[in-house]
Amino acid sequence: MAGINGAGVNGAGINGAGIDEAGAARLFSATARAQYAATGALRWHMFINGLRSKMGAFELGARTVAFVIYAGMGLGMGFGAGIATYFLISSDEWKFVPIVLWAVCIIWQLLPILLASFQEQFDLSTLLRFPVSFSSYTLLYLIFGLADISTMVGAILCFGIWVGIVVAWPTLFAWSAIVLLVFAAFNILLARAVFAWIDRWLAQRKTREILGAVFLVLMLSLQFLNPALHQRRHQGREQRDEAQRQMMAQYGPWLHKANAVQKWLPPGLAEGAVQQAAQEGTGQAFESMGLLGLYALAVGGVLAARLKSEYRGENLGSAPSRKKAGLRQLKGGQAKVAGWMPGGSGPVAAVIEKEIRLLLRSLPILYALGAPLLLVFIFATMFHNTSQNTGHPMIFALPLGLAYAMIGFTQLFYNHLGAEGPGIQLLFLSPTPIRTVFLAKNLFHSMIFGIDAVVVCTLVSLRMGMPQPAMLAATLAWLLFALPTHLAAGNIFSILFPYRVNPGRISRQRGSQGNALLSLLIQAVVLGAGAGVFALCSIGDRLWLAVPIFLVLAGGAFFAWSRVLQNADAMANRHKESLMETVMKTA
Amino acid sequence: METAAIQTHGLTRRFGALTAVEDVTLSVAPGQFFGFLGPNGAGKSTTIKMLTGLLEPSAGSIEILGQPFSASALELKRQIGVVPEGMALLGRLTAPEYLHFVGRMYGLDRETTNRRTNELLEFMQLADESRKLVTDFSHGMQKKLALAAAVIHGPKVLFLDEPFEGVDAIAAGMLKSMLTGMINRGATIFLTTHVLEIVERLCSHVAIISKGRLVANGSLEDLRAGVASTLPGAEGEQRLTLEEIFLSIVGAGAQQDAAQELSWLA
Repeated sequence: MAGINGAGVNGAGINGAGIDEAGAARLFSATARAQYAATGALRWHMFINGLRSKMGAFELGARTVAFVIYAGMGLGMGFGAGIATYFLISSDEWKFVPIVLWAVCIIWQLLPILLASFQEQFDLSTLLRFPVSFSSYTLLYLIFGLADISTMVGAILCFGIWVGIVVAWPTLFAWSAIVLLVFAAFNILLARAVFAWIDRWLAQRKTREILGAVFLVLMLSLQFLNPALHQRRHQGREQRDEAQRQMMAQYGPWLHKANAVQKWLPPGLAEGAVQQAAQEGTGQAFESMGLLGLYALAVGGVLAARLKSEYRGENLGSAPSRKKAGLRQLKGGQAKVAGWMPGGSGPVAAVIEKEIRLLLRSLPILYALGAPLLLVFIFATMFHNTSQNTGHPMIFALPLGLAYAMIGFTQLFYNHLGAEGPGIQLLFLSPTPIRTVFLAKNLFHSMIFGIDAVVVCTLVSLRMGMPQPAMLAATLAWLLFALPTHLAAGNIFSILFPYRVNPGRISRQRGSQGNALLSLLIQAVVLGAGAGVFALCSIGDRLWLAVPIFLVLAGGAFFAWSRVLQNADAMANRHKESLMETVMKTA
Repeated sequence: METAAIQTHGLTRRFGALTAVEDVTLSVAPGQFFGFLGPNGAGKSTTIKMLTGLLEPSAGSIEILGQPFSASALELKRQIGVVPEGMALLGRLTAPEYLHFVGRMYGLDRETTNRRTNELLEFMQLADESRKLVTDFSHGMQKKLALAAAVIHGPKVLFLDEPFEGVDAIAAGMLKSMLTGMINRGATIFLTTHVLEIVERLCSHVAIISKGRLVANGSLEDLRAGVASTLPGAEGEQRLTLEEIFLSIVGAGAQQDAAQELSWLA
């Protein structure tokens, strides 16, 4: 035994010359600086090496185009936020300024989810095997987050608001800048903390199931809220006005209470700090600003707690305890796999069952499918109010709602191999042709889109009334064109422009700008064709004419889809090396 | 003449300017346990990928069970089982779900798949972990699952790329007995591994690849005799281990040089 625990294990050499342990623990020591430089160089080399292939060069081009689009989008919203802030402050309507700040806060938190497949994120936890100190790890985590789209757009929005404040009230030049900087820091830390914790919950079975249930309940609650809030749509204008007055009388005190609460939350505090500096005095302004800073620190603390666990090398495995496993073994004897498709034992059924299992375990994809329904609910309410105010019913609510719901399927349609991981090898090793796998995936995606479509139709019918028969027929005919078009293009893109998706994570995904931009282009073409036909046929009230036009287009789309399916094996075999390399990538 | 289970002629694979595998011609008889050895980066995994259809050869031909691979790929895939380099696992399924999926992808009916899934999970000692996601498995458990998936359809030819890597000694012994049983029942196994002791114990024939070229091929006794004949006097009369044969063929000099160069290591 003496030999086993003998000298040498803790001896010099392992922690020997060249590693400055004390230095590594300080944030800006020589070792820490060398580590930052090495990480920066790593990112740079990964970027340059990515350009070696034709796809890499294409990806860079797509990334540049996307950057311009996002920058344009951000500038547009920033301009809007600036104008709104200017007019609200100029007209002394300070009480509405928090709405702008709340909008910024929500955009900042939601954009990372909406754009998860558009941006490439480096998983910094790969650095944990090196002697990187916790403070250095945290700093790197924060710095690399600054380059993402949500931070860029959020920063532009804050800048727009600052310009609006300064133009309306020039003396607030410096103070509003400081307040908005703290507000921006809060948003950055909040977004990172929320995603870090969601990823942690998604990593374990129990918390994943709880999170899934909460999400489902939330979605269902919002759907039920819809008819509950709008029970008076069949009433006349006077009755509705009266009802609205009653509602305000009923909910007015509640809204005042809500306003009183939001004043103590970061967007309200940011507005308060600026308004108090302008009107009331620096003491109160400092108070609001201090509270805002405390919020930022608290959120930073929550993030730090998560990073600390990650840094310590937590185990997120969801192994059942030995005792429970033993009990199951005694009770069950054999592991059973539930079959959801009676009689379907072939590969198509196998792939569909596998896809259902993976979908149910992937909250990010469920969110991507469910989020558009939430927005359809919001749009339906807006259309309802608009049609009430103008007296013209919104006849296009149904196709618009369905078109929007379809956007949520972009990642599923256009990158359906991305979540396979190393399992993609099996698709090429098994005797099942790739076209059979694609057929199964297409059938599954059509099936869940069908469910989404029924929900949208129900929502729109509840809010706007049953659509005209001509509109319903034309919309269904458009769907018959749109769906096979997306499936055909999606099958091609899944082979040519795949990217690795980790279905258990929301953040730290590897997106593909090329895939994202081209798929959006196809979406735009399909939507544009639909909008054009609807617009032309609605002139002179000939909406029925849209049905045969869409059916002809649907015939073409279906033919294209079947051709793509027939050629799927040849195409996949031609690109299998790059496809497997991309989808199996681990870092 | 008996049809070879695996036959290649001039098998070559180039990646741009790099030739990973060059002009490899080999033949594996049915029922043979064939060890395919080589140093890191020699071209072992590239060869297995070509033999199993995961990679297109740049030149040369492949025949499995007497049929050209390119002409009857789907039919041949039913006859072969593979544990590839990346293991081909689906991390977000449980082990029973994964085996069930694989069985049906290979055309087994639901009942057979269920029965074999349970038997394989028991045999691989994974039955207690049937609720755990594959992504939460240890590396060794993943290897066992990958091997279970490779044999669920009862293949005639089995390709194994480093199947024993990360597997504990108990499981390794179990796997060895399973593979020997398959050989006794007439299956052919093509194995790459760095554990030379396993090859020495299990394989009847061995090929060694170095820098993409086949540098030795034959029965273990043939290789032993060939290397012994090049050694002087008493050294050549000793019974050589596979490790000595391997180092003699691919070059042992590098090992000593490396030890001298890293003199700063304690």
